[in-house]
Amino acid sequence: MEKNKDTLGLHTFMQDRKTLFCYSGPLTEDLLTTISNPVRHQLSDDETKETVAKRVFGVFIEQAQNIIRYSTQKTKSTGDSIGTIAISVADDGFLIEAVNKIDESKKDVLEATLVELSVADQKALRQMYKKRLRDGPPEDSEGAGLGFIEMARRVKHFEFNFVESEEGALFVYRGWVS
Amino acid sequence: MKFEKTQRTPLVEIGSNSCLIKGECYPENIAEWSGPVLEALKKTLVDANTQFNVDIELYYFNSSSAKFLFDFFEFLEDSAEEGKKIRINWRYRAEDDTMLEAGEDFQEDITACEYNLVIVEYTSEDHEPE
Repeated sequence: MEKNKDTLGLHTFMQDRKTLFCYSGPLTEDLLTTISNPVRHQLSDDETKETVAKRVFGVFIEQAQNIIRYSTQKTKSTGDSIGTIAISVADDGFLIEAVNKIDESKKDVLEATLVELSVADQKALRQMYKKRLRDGPPEDSEGAGLGFIEMARRVKHFEFNFVESEEGALFVYRGWVS
Repeated sequence: MKFEKTQRTPLVEIGSNSCLIKGECYPENIAEWSGPVLEALKKTLVDANTQFNVDIELYYFNSSSAKFLFDFFEFLEDSAEEGKKIRINWRYRAEDDTMLEAGEDFQEDITACEYNLVIVEYTSEDHEPE
């Protein structure tokens, strides 16, 4: 069977992994505005604490904006950034996932930054955040250079890896919020 | 001067001796939104000769907006050092540790302005999506 004919398989796969929301394709700020409210609505059921929902939403927004700013895979016609972002129910909270193509030459710097963040405790992360605010963004940042520190502060734990593909390096991020 | 709230930007109201920022802040382009706000604040503060009150009540802001807030406070600090009397109230909900921590982080750099962390009651209409 051709892969894209397995519609039921897609449904079952998403249901089985408890994915509440998933988007894969060109991501723009306009689209982010449109999907923000439904995403928040998904997170705001009675059983989820508002503080948890806000942390999930915060990580989701940072990840979406990372894809928009840094994905090197673009649509041909409009140059919009392509990536995948998802929110799923995890054992004791939520899992936020993102995948996008990155500039191969930025990989080492990104990896070093994320390794540093993954071993830092909350107190250290708070200090790093404040230092970055005072010092200003790094040269190659389109945002404030704070996004990954912000995410590290909101998640309980995160993992990342890089996958080599024919079209270049894919960056894979997984963060758990509870 | 009033900047209406949008889904991704807060309400901003600047009066002759006050400034209120209330809502959520994660705009597409923070500089585009914050430029006119800072400009309006600067113009107003030049003429302010009594105490100037700044109330900030945010429920969520993204990391790019944190830089705006940092610059915003830096401007208020500079103005206070030049002799303006400025009081900042950082308003947060009791259960909102994230916004409390953010308020504390900004407080660390503020010495010339009066700065208060103020707990506010939660009202559901404050948070209704557009």
